[in-house]
Amino acid sequence: MTNPAIETNGLTKQYGELTALDALNLTVDRGEVYGFLGPNGAGKSTTIGLLMNYNKPTSGTARVLGLDPWTDVVDCHQQVGILPDRFDTYDDRSARRHIQLVADTKRADDDPVGLLERVGLGDAVDRPAREFSQGMEQRLALAMSLVGDPELLILDEPFTGLDPHGVALVRDVVESESERGTTVFFLSHVLGQVELVCDRVGILHHGQLVDEGTLSAFRERLDLAADATVEDVFVHLTDGAVDREETPR
Amino acid sequence: MSPLAGTRPRWLALAREEARGLLTAKGPWILAGLLVVWGYRPTYVGWQGLGPNQTVGFVQTVGSFLLPLGVLLLSYRSVVGERTSGSLKFVLGLPLTRSDILVGKVLGRSAGLAVPVSAAAVVLGIVGFVRFGIFSPLLFCGVLLATLLYVVTLVSIATAVSAVTTNTVRAAGAVFGGVYLFFTVFWTRFAELIYTFLGGPSTGSFSAPADGLFFALLRLSPGRAYRVLTNWLLGVGNSGAPYDAVITKLETPTSITIYTVESAFGGQTPPAYLHEISGLVVLLVWLVVPLGIARYQFQRGDLV
Repeated sequence: MTNPAIETNGLTKQYGELTALDALNLTVDRGEVYGFLGPNGAGKSTTIGLLMNYNKPTSGTARVLGLDPWTDVVDCHQQVGILPDRFDTYDDRSARRHIQLVADTKRADDDPVGLLERVGLGDAVDRPAREFSQGMEQRLALAMSLVGDPELLILDEPFTGLDPHGVALVRDVVESESERGTTVFFLSHVLGQVELVCDRVGILHHGQLVDEGTLSAFRERLDLAADATVEDVFVHLTDGAVDREETPR
Repeated sequence: MSPLAGTRPRWLALAREEARGLLTAKGPWILAGLLVVWGYRPTYVGWQGLGPNQTVGFVQTVGSFLLPLGVLLLSYRSVVGERTSGSLKFVLGLPLTRSDILVGKVLGRSAGLAVPVSAAAVVLGIVGFVRFGIFSPLLFCGVLLATLLYVVTLVSIATAVSAVTTNTVRAAGAVFGGVYLFFTVFWTRFAELIYTFLGGPSTGSFSAPADGLFFALLRLSPGRAYRVLTNWLLGVGNSGAPYDAVITKLETPTSITIYTVESAFGGQTPPAYLHEISGLVVLLVWLVVPLGIARYQFQRGDLV
């Protein structure tokens, strides 16, 4: 398949006067692990909202796995796994039922127990989600995103509420899914983790993609030290953006 | 996976979870218990008019006032609650269209409420059978079916409101203020006011106008439409009032303050559109139209 996993052209979202996303042109190739970074309010969640048909764009186009995310919703979501940001699980339902709902709508025959064991919830399969800690909910959501072996895995702030074991688990999952050929679109502001898992990062600031590339390319181009982290790159680029805006002409 | 899995609609899984959620919760079963207590109202006039079939009349009493309150209470958060909590992000991420989501919600919740409501009716049927003897099972099933249609209609209305509101307080206000109080509890009074406002003579139920428009207005209420339909099945008269009140008005010398087509039109032939089947039509309109409007907005809008 030649079409990219995600492709947006001039994707724009305005809420009244506020431009949350400003003509985003983004291409995520098949099979890569792409880290989408930006400070809070940069437009990361807006992008996900548009790509997942939570919200409709003001203008611009997008393709997810070659499909229109707003009209080909069923075919598109059939191949996409999502771990949303700021979600809530269903208090009264067991972990198993959460997985089963996704499996049944995706017509997938995943074994809920196997998936829950994979994310470390093997001993909580039949416990209601109201008893779960935030970290456990995050693990449950991760398991839900993996149902049906998606072509594209979208992880929105996947480290939220996770202890170091959970953080390592997310990294392992991203690595093994990537080895299977899954594209991973990874959103985070936890920069230290991003450089460990992502092939390429894009930096979003004030609703615009200010730069993208591999970490080593950033270091070279931005004239940063060889041990510069994503954090340094991030600060360098987003400060620059602020400066450009605030400098009087 | 069963060989039929590929043809089963995808929203079925969502509907099943909705139904399961209600059936395993306490609320719907508490409602069922209250409905039994509320519905069991043997009256002399009920016995006089219907004999043992009075038991079927209990089912209509179940469907009046308490049932709509309970069903609306258990349904108004169905979409907006998930929207504010954030669990809607999972549902929206499933391979379902937004219309699928609304259909799954309405049918799933309807099934989850139909079971306890039917259980309440069956308990009343048993009690009525023991106390008053054998009633027509066909009539019982007919009135129960009408009651379940009313349940689906109420779930549909509440889900429609839930789908187009952005917070639960507003949804509660619209459902209880608008649907329950305005259209169900106090509709008779509002219909009188609207009729007068439209230029009709001021009305009172002692001097009901023999005007088709007025009676048509009255049965626009889903609650009155439900009773027009069930009074027709019970054979007590053409009215949106409770069956025992209709019997009192039409079969006894007592005059009471309710509207019936028979007493208002006397010997004249009422317009054809006041046929009792209009109750069914009004319920179907309430079932389809609000949800259709909500679907239009739900499909286009921003949901997160």
